[in-house]
Amino acid sequence: MGKPTRWSLEAAFDSIITGLGIVIIITSLSYGLGTFRRPGPGLYPFFVGLSIVIFSMVILISELRPQTRPALFNRGDVKTLLFMIVAFCLWILMIPLLGYVIVTLLVTYGFCKIMRLEGLWKPLSISAGTALFIYLLFDYWLYIDLPKGILG
Amino acid sequence: MNHLLNGFINSLTLVNLVACFVGAMVGTIVGVLPGLGPTVTMALMLPFTLKYGPATGLIMMTGVWYGAMYGGSTTSILVNIPGEAASVVTCIDGYQMSKKGRAGAALALVAVGSFIAGTLGIMGLQFFAPLLGNAALSFGSPEYLAFMILAFVLLSNLSGEFPLKGGLMISLGLFVSVVGINPMDSYPRFTFGWDELMMGIDFLPIAMGFFGVSEILNIAVEKYVVPEVKKVRLRNLFPTREERRRSVFPILRGSILGFFVGLLPGPCTVISTFVSYSIEKKISKTPQEFGKGAVEGVVAPEAANNSAVMGAMIPLLTLGIPFAAPSAVMLAGLRMHNIEPGPMLFTTRPDIFWTFIAAMYIGNLMLLILNLPLVGLFGRIALIRPPIIIPVISLICLFGIYSVRNSIFDVWIMILSGVIGYFLRKWKFPIAPFIIGIVLGPTTENSVRQTLMLFKGNPLLIVGRPVAMSLLGLAIAFIVYKFISPFFGKLKVEEPG
Repeated sequence: MGKPTRWSLEAAFDSIITGLGIVIIITSLSYGLGTFRRPGPGLYPFFVGLSIVIFSMVILISELRPQTRPALFNRGDVKTLLFMIVAFCLWILMIPLLGYVIVTLLVTYGFCKIMRLEGLWKPLSISAGTALFIYLLFDYWLYIDLPKGILG
Repeated sequence: MNHLLNGFINSLTLVNLVACFVGAMVGTIVGVLPGLGPTVTMALMLPFTLKYGPATGLIMMTGVWYGAMYGGSTTSILVNIPGEAASVVTCIDGYQMSKKGRAGAALALVAVGSFIAGTLGIMGLQFFAPLLGNAALSFGSPEYLAFMILAFVLLSNLSGEFPLKGGLMISLGLFVSVVGINPMDSYPRFTFGWDELMMGIDFLPIAMGFFGVSEILNIAVEKYVVPEVKKVRLRNLFPTREERRRSVFPILRGSILGFFVGLLPGPCTVISTFVSYSIEKKISKTPQEFGKGAVEGVVAPEAANNSAVMGAMIPLLTLGIPFAAPSAVMLAGLRMHNIEPGPMLFTTRPDIFWTFIAAMYIGNLMLLILNLPLVGLFGRIALIRPPIIIPVISLICLFGIYSVRNSIFDVWIMILSGVIGYFLRKWKFPIAPFIIGIVLGPTTENSVRQTLMLFKGNPLLIVGRPVAMSLLGLAIAFIVYKFISPFFGKLKVEEPG
């Protein structure tokens, strides 16, 4: 247990949301509110922005009380989380170039390793099985036009 | 009756029967496994609806939903791990029964109870939906707006521990729905020059991110403990006479209660289990047995969550308003086929409604027949470790969302939503209100604009609309109750994590 603090990652998030609400209000004003009789394009988002500001500020104020906060995760968790996000992003970045088959093999293998699946054959067979499943389901059965990349 | 007969004729086609079977089976497996909930799985089924038509898609998606309710109970009873949030309560007495060697009986009673509850729920849906649909024909925009306000008030209060967080999530969802070209005046809003945002942000990648990717990240980070599964043999499935006697009324009570709780906005299936369990405990002659393997504490919540699924269909089918995340996905699926559920559905497309009703009767029976002999298999599926299942699920999510619109932009949105959703879950922000806010956003804005124009800019004219006033009155009464309830003690229903 650490020392009681006022500030936390959640409070930072609440502040960003409050800021977003203010941006929505200002942008809505620039679209024109119109009148209640003839509502403009900005009227509805203006009130939505206003409600975001009100809710997030009340939550932020309650969050800013000094309190002992349990750690969200340890260093190992952060590493796993980051690797998972990177693997997801790599799928997006590589699929137009390498095509879905190669990317599925690589990324599934990567996910297996991030999830600490030991050995070589198990991750490899899961990767191959997943690639086959994706091919049969999306390409062969549903006729989805998946990126073929260098195999195309 | 003729309509229902036609529905049975339509649903007994090979495609629809297979869809029903696949939906129910996939739903059961999803209920057993961690990682994919019914919402994400239903979203993944959307490409199938494009291929086989709206009725088939609807049948498959509903199968997933009630199949998941059933599957969730299997792991709750056998390994004390709820596969689905609506089965958390089942763990309490279900696992205790399992420890006493009564796992087979618990599973059998849950299967029969779920079947009875599902059937009663479908009967309720069949009876009430057309009635309410006809009544809703007289609804104008003020009534829709008032109904939406009531739904938002209830949703923010029932979806988690902190109503303010629920309110914020609804507002954020309403904002996301505003992004893009406004169909009423073709005015682009909040696009900031991005072409991809002109058509708006689709809710599916966000739903997949918040429900699927965030759960994947959560499981990846969590430490996995291998559960111990109790072996169940077919001959152990028969409950004793005493267990059967004690289950009859809790199943019936759970069914009726679940159906009406299903009409409420929010995680109705989860809420129905908590309410049902507490009622059974309160009225029981042996409340001391609850928590130690009372059969009533297992069958009643399970009956309630199955029946709640059917109840939750009513707002969707009669008003076109989804009150729960899975029904929001169903709405998206129907809209992909240019079908707008609502009061007109019963006159314009009665075939869809009645085929759907008939298919649910069949699906419910399929679940009962298939699941009992396959209990052992589902128990083994529950043992598949995350290092094996998570890579496969991740790839299915990636390809699933890409295949809906062949859009890489949607995949980015899904991953971004997943990361945000991961943190929001940690901070106990409820996710469902956000998704429902996005889906209901356009209808809400339409209703606001049309109401203001109808009343010539004077919102007070709503006093002359009795239905709208009653709905607003209920919303205000609920808010007042929330303020004064701490002084009298309150009933708290929490969304399990």
